[in-house]
Amino acid sequence: MKGLFQTDRITYLKDKMLSEPRYASIEQALIITDTYKENEDKPRIIQRALALKAALEKITISVEPEELIVGNRTAGVRYGVVFPESGSTWVDKEFETLPTRAQDTFNVHQEDIETFRKVIKPYWQGKSLEDVLSQRYGKEIDEIAKVVKINQKDHAQGHICPNCVEWLELGPAGLQEEAAYKLTTCEENQKDFYESVILVMQGARNFMVRYHNLLMSMAEEETDTDKRVSMLQAAKNCKNLSRRPAETFHEAVQSIWFLFVILQMESNASSFSPGRLDRHLIPYYEKDIANGTLTKQDALEIIECLWLKFNEIVYMRNSHGAKYFAGFPIGFNIAIGGQDEHGNDYSNDLSFLFLEAQKHLGLPQPNLSVRLHEGTGEELLKEAVRTVAKGSGMPQFFNDKAVIPSMVELGIEEKDALDYAIVGCVELTTQGNNLGWSDSAMFNLNKALEVTLTGGKCLLTGETIAPDYGNLETYETFEDLENAFRKQIDYFMDKMLLACEEVEKVHIDLLPSPFLSATIDNCMEQGVDVTAGGAKYNLSGIQMIQVANLADSLAAIKQMVYDEKKIERKTMLDALKSNFEGYEIIRTMLLNKVPKYGNDVDWVDAMGTKWAEYFKNRLRTFTNYRGGPYHTGMYTVSAHVPMGENVGATPDGRYAKEPLADGGMSPVYGRDRKGPTAVLKSVSKLDKNLTTNGGLLNMKFIPEFFKNEIGIQKFADFLRSFVDLEIPHIQFNVVRREDLIAAKENPEQYRGLTVRVAGYTAYFTELADELQNEIIARTSYGDI
Amino acid sequence: MKGRIFDIQRFSTHDGEGIRTTIFLKGCPLSCVWCQNPEGILFRKRPIYFENRCIHCQTCVKRSHAGGVKIQDGSITLDIDAKENWNDLIDWCPAGALEMDSKEYEVEEVMQEVRKDMVFYKHGGGVTLSGGEALFQWEFALEILKQCKKEGIHTALETSLYTKQEVLKKVLPYLDAVFADFKAADDKKHKKYTDVSNRKIKKNLKYLLQSEKKENVTIRTPMIPGMTAFKENVLEISRYISGIYPEVSYEILNYNPLAESKYHLIDQEFCFKENPKLYSKEQMQEFKNWALEGGVKHVIIES
Repeated sequence: MKGLFQTDRITYLKDKMLSEPRYASIEQALIITDTYKENEDKPRIIQRALALKAALEKITISVEPEELIVGNRTAGVRYGVVFPESGSTWVDKEFETLPTRAQDTFNVHQEDIETFRKVIKPYWQGKSLEDVLSQRYGKEIDEIAKVVKINQKDHAQGHICPNCVEWLELGPAGLQEEAAYKLTTCEENQKDFYESVILVMQGARNFMVRYHNLLMSMAEEETDTDKRVSMLQAAKNCKNLSRRPAETFHEAVQSIWFLFVILQMESNASSFSPGRLDRHLIPYYEKDIANGTLTKQDALEIIECLWLKFNEIVYMRNSHGAKYFAGFPIGFNIAIGGQDEHGNDYSNDLSFLFLEAQKHLGLPQPNLSVRLHEGTGEELLKEAVRTVAKGSGMPQFFNDKAVIPSMVELGIEEKDALDYAIVGCVELTTQGNNLGWSDSAMFNLNKALEVTLTGGKCLLTGETIAPDYGNLETYETFEDLENAFRKQIDYFMDKMLLACEEVEKVHIDLLPSPFLSATIDNCMEQGVDVTAGGAKYNLSGIQMIQVANLADSLAAIKQMVYDEKKIERKTMLDALKSNFEGYEIIRTMLLNKVPKYGNDVDWVDAMGTKWAEYFKNRLRTFTNYRGGPYHTGMYTVSAHVPMGENVGATPDGRYAKEPLADGGMSPVYGRDRKGPTAVLKSVSKLDKNLTTNGGLLNMKFIPEFFKNEIGIQKFADFLRSFVDLEIPHIQFNVVRREDLIAAKENPEQYRGLTVRVAGYTAYFTELADELQNEIIARTSYGDI
Repeated sequence: MKGRIFDIQRFSTHDGEGIRTTIFLKGCPLSCVWCQNPEGILFRKRPIYFENRCIHCQTCVKRSHAGGVKIQDGSITLDIDAKENWNDLIDWCPAGALEMDSKEYEVEEVMQEVRKDMVFYKHGGGVTLSGGEALFQWEFALEILKQCKKEGIHTALETSLYTKQEVLKKVLPYLDAVFADFKAADDKKHKKYTDVSNRKIKKNLKYLLQSEKKENVTIRTPMIPGMTAFKENVLEISRYISGIYPEVSYEILNYNPLAESKYHLIDQEFCFKENPKLYSKEQMQEFKNWALEGGVKHVIIES
């Protein structure tokens, strides 16, 4: 958009935010603990509501004088919040190492460690989600852990798209009123729910009033007129929002931000996402533009203030989790463009302003997504490509042509499917009515293949971790091997499903979430909390890890061992057992003489799709504890590194413990030799119904590719074909290798450099060493 | 009909509009000293040894029975004239360090490769024939072009124009775009650097730029330091082509320093001892100014 610029205010606020140190904070943990102590006799949902209300009323707040959008869950920016209700055993173990650990460091106040151990830890021992689950089902979960990683064990549910439109139209006052009305007519067993909603909405309103008061007192002291005017405006917005729904664009943006701050304060969970924010906000924008109270430039500045805010909340994970989800992604995912309720192309001024904001700021949040379809306007598409070319890795692209029909096939109503959005990195969701539980578990298909080849033994430790259905030496034919593999998948899938149910039960018992429930359709109507199945849609997503390696391994065994018989069965198994030590020639053959997934070779690609299909079809026959379907996804975020550490040498020539393919649908890096079109073709053979929970295709281009409008046009054409091929997702890294190497050596000079790590964008210099190396090593295409 | 191809490259983005598949046909009557694809000059098929892929397992040495592969001072050397079972050696090389430099294809086999990216051509791409000199195997090239047109695929040709005019007349109806080189205006220099005279080329240029397809023709000159990248050359080429067709499109190609690495693979020496660098934006702009001065209106340089 021509003539629009980044204001000094934004530049100042951005620099300020990036230069502030991050700390671990126990302030809210103390408030929660006190509240629980004072209310031991109350039902859990009331305790949760009171704890949130208390936090909203007591937590230290602060405001930057320049801010147009205010609010945060801690006084400092990008603080890591200790959250005892879900689990803090890891905090106890790792508190001291937070400042020095390999990934996602936080500073620590020494006295906080002492307070934590004296006050917080003793109270929650045996009571947190983590501890209770561990008592109830820990052993069973551990037994399958090498093949299946069960998630959501120590934090509340995220990856949810609240009903932003309803929040904007009702606000906390309206929702409180609705709950109060329901309370007068509801059944006895619904009373606690509505009472808890009333409590949290009161808390939300008080929270807003506190910001109003703080801003007013700051404005009184302020001598700079401009600053004072903007403070008074922000104060007025907060006060208005505490009493009534948003009316102006500025208020609407402030209202959206409060919503996400409070959701985070209730749950401290990864990824609450606004969804289709260009659609949510457009009525307010258009009204203000029409009546002359807002210009495009004003709107852009307000949007950029919100964009900065999205970067101020980060999610502190344990060191293991930080490895899987490096760069503390919290996934404020915003989807722009796409089809409207009639299937027509939709975009508006805000879609373009959002891209403009991303071009200016180039920060990791929000996670900006563009929905593409056959009718996507050329201008939006090209502007999105130009934004990609800026190098922040955003936006990523989703494909309506793949996503909408696959959601309908899963049982989602068409109107909801047409209105889909993305949560977190690439997880697909309907908006405002869905507890998607999108990260229920990760199923390591390559580990399942390992135990198929060894007869149930772990290649890394030698211990028995699975049943013995035979081993590579006993399988006379490739079909024998496949039959045993099928049995191993079934065995672990059954165990996984039992574990997932137990996890859900603990969430229902311990972490009901009244504030979230009030913003999810059907919960308020039914008086049922979202964790207990109150939402309209109740899905559970399982990730298949990683089909690329699986296809390559099965193809290698089939061709080299069974078809060409160049490698004896025993030799192959010995080579794997010895991690190819003394078998260098064999390993080289496996790497070079068998075609690989990602090169558009049908029979190899089919090796992966066959098993992904099998897994999906079997999984779909089960129903989760909330009564909704299980379905599959193909994304790993950065989990391909630790997941790989857990897998011995594989028949595709990969050494033990090396990372698996990144992304989820991407080929193993360096193995795609036929260029980007071949990659897309290979990926397109994975049926769209395999990725209803989200798929991830990662590609890296050097910036030369985008250096002129011809390149931009070719890239736009490439994306049109991506739509035709019905691939659900694609994202691009546009960085020079030299940039990355330089950034590694001089991190301080590259603080602002962002890269996409699988599903999200992170600060490159804040990633662990091995992850940096891995990003550097990824395939790069270009015009050489 | 069979033809000999040394590479089929998908996602080509430099030889015509959109996303293309470029087919490199083997054999070229020219021998430009700077050639970017020196393995494409000789029509003869030969094995190539990629030292960087080799793990020195010596499987090839052990399997060799006619002295085609030898080890000397620890490094592998090939005798490509030896009566060797090359396919066997290539099949058993675990690293893919031994490969034939080209392969015979039926037209239908080429089309199978081409069709793989149909979904990309739809939004403005297609097939480009290149080489070597794509028209060196012109009957084969013609069949591919005919088949592409039958299937609605956009076609382009990269050519040195060193071919009989009848051949050009035969293929032109099946072409949507032509990229024709005019490397050196001075015939002595042309002979010196490319091994052939430019008379035939100039004649064909004239034919092309007066044909029905003249709007779809781009004339190209690669900027080779000291050989083609000097004012007189660009000026004279520009005068010649704009004299035939004032609306002619003329593209000035930057020097490609990556070609050098290919020469040692086929035991040849590159024309530069010290590999020059890419020309800068400013230098390219200057070349463009020369072309404008020479009378060309539509000058293309990479920006």
